Amino acid sequence: MGTQELKQDLKEKIIEFLNLIDVKPEDIKDDQPLFGEGLGLDSIDSIELIVLLDRFYGIKIKDPKEGRKILVDINTMVGFIEKNRTL
Amino acid sequence: MFYIHNTVCISPQISFPDTDLDQLIICKDNKLYAKEVSYTDIPPAILRRMGKAVRLGVAASNPLFKLYDKLDGIIIGTSNGGMEDCIKFLNQIMHYEEGVLTPTNFVQSTPNAIASQLGFLSKNKGYNITHVHRGFAFENALLDAAMLLVSYPDNNYLLGGLDEISTYNFNIDYLCGYVKKETISNDDLYSGTTDGSIAGEGVAMFMVNNNSDGAVSKFRALQMLHTTDEKKLLTAFKTFLSNNLPQNETIDLFLSGENGDARYTKFYESAESILNKDTAAARFKHMSGEFRTASAFALWISNYIIKNQHIPPHMLKNAVKIKDINNIVIYNNYQGFQHSFMLLSKN
Repeated sequence: MGTQELKQDLKEKIIEFLNLIDVKPEDIKDDQPLFGEGLGLDSIDSIELIVLLDRFYGIKIKDPKEGRKILVDINTMVGFIEKNRTL
Repeated sequence: MFYIHNTVCISPQISFPDTDLDQLIICKDNKLYAKEVSYTDIPPAILRRMGKAVRLGVAASNPLFKLYDKLDGIIIGTSNGGMEDCIKFLNQIMHYEEGVLTPTNFVQSTPNAIASQLGFLSKNKGYNITHVHRGFAFENALLDAAMLLVSYPDNNYLLGGLDEISTYNFNIDYLCGYVKKETISNDDLYSGTTDGSIAGEGVAMFMVNNNSDGAVSKFRALQMLHTTDEKKLLTAFKTFLSNNLPQNETIDLFLSGENGDARYTKFYESAESILNKDTAAARFKHMSGEFRTASAFALWISNYIIKNQHIPPHMLKNAVKIKDINNIVIYNNYQGFQHSFMLLSKN
């Protein structure tokens, strides 16, 4: 799967997993912050995203500090997935 | 016991925000789903985590919160709560072998998620409780409200009953024979002779207190009874009426929880057998479907009937014409063993 395909796949999974009502993949910019003023996700969502990475890409994040660097935006997540995925 | 003021009901029928109960909404697949409403009052970030029961409960309560500056507690009856999300969570445990689980389905699916969300969103830090006693969940919430209003006579309480159809409970009820094997239309619910009913869901919320000023109705009595014997049921019903209805008053309307299940018709016929010729009889489960807190819908529609002095024609079981609807007796049973009687009067 190429980077662009992976970005689309990840956006679709985030929307479905977090039940983002009325949000479409094209509404999420690659460099848009996921938390706070960007997509507006919160701390519970961060747990959901960690579970998402585990289930769909076989990536386990055990250190919360590591999670903060990865779950910044779509670009950072996709970069991490490409390097570390086991599924 | 207490007075009922404002009410909101979200049901399979046209009940919120507009109400048109003369028009019966038809379902043909044995499931009467509550109609989703506009959720503009619920912040989107919170709404996206809510299961149907929770969002219906919040949507029905919001208009009532706006009417009352002083609210002293939230009392909810729900047998299953957000069962659909609960099963999603349990399936995750199985599927992922108790590995990494997402918290949202679990957090939102417990029965008390509804009352607690109402408490958070309305910033009400008062009494907050959820009753979950199967077919008596709403009745216990009613009893709780009545007892609280004895102890704290100046208080206002939000009282509600709700449940949702989940794939899980529908399938279990179907396999247990509580849902009809054959597919029927809800306007044909009472004509069959087979076991089972049709599934339903909905939410009814009530603002209750001891103040008669401006109240629509007075909730006068409640009795719950566990029995599978229609003779015991009849004796209890007679006692309920003699204890709570003065001799100079009559029952104007008997609202029956008949649900089309041939096994339980005998209970309703037994109760109806002691009514006099001038009492109108009506039914409501073709509007709400069968669910464990359907009695909340029955109380809401009784309040509607008293307020409007009008019974939707499709509800009527007999041809008795009544001028004034002052006293309504509701009799409901759940699966033939949890029976409840309620007496509601015009204020």
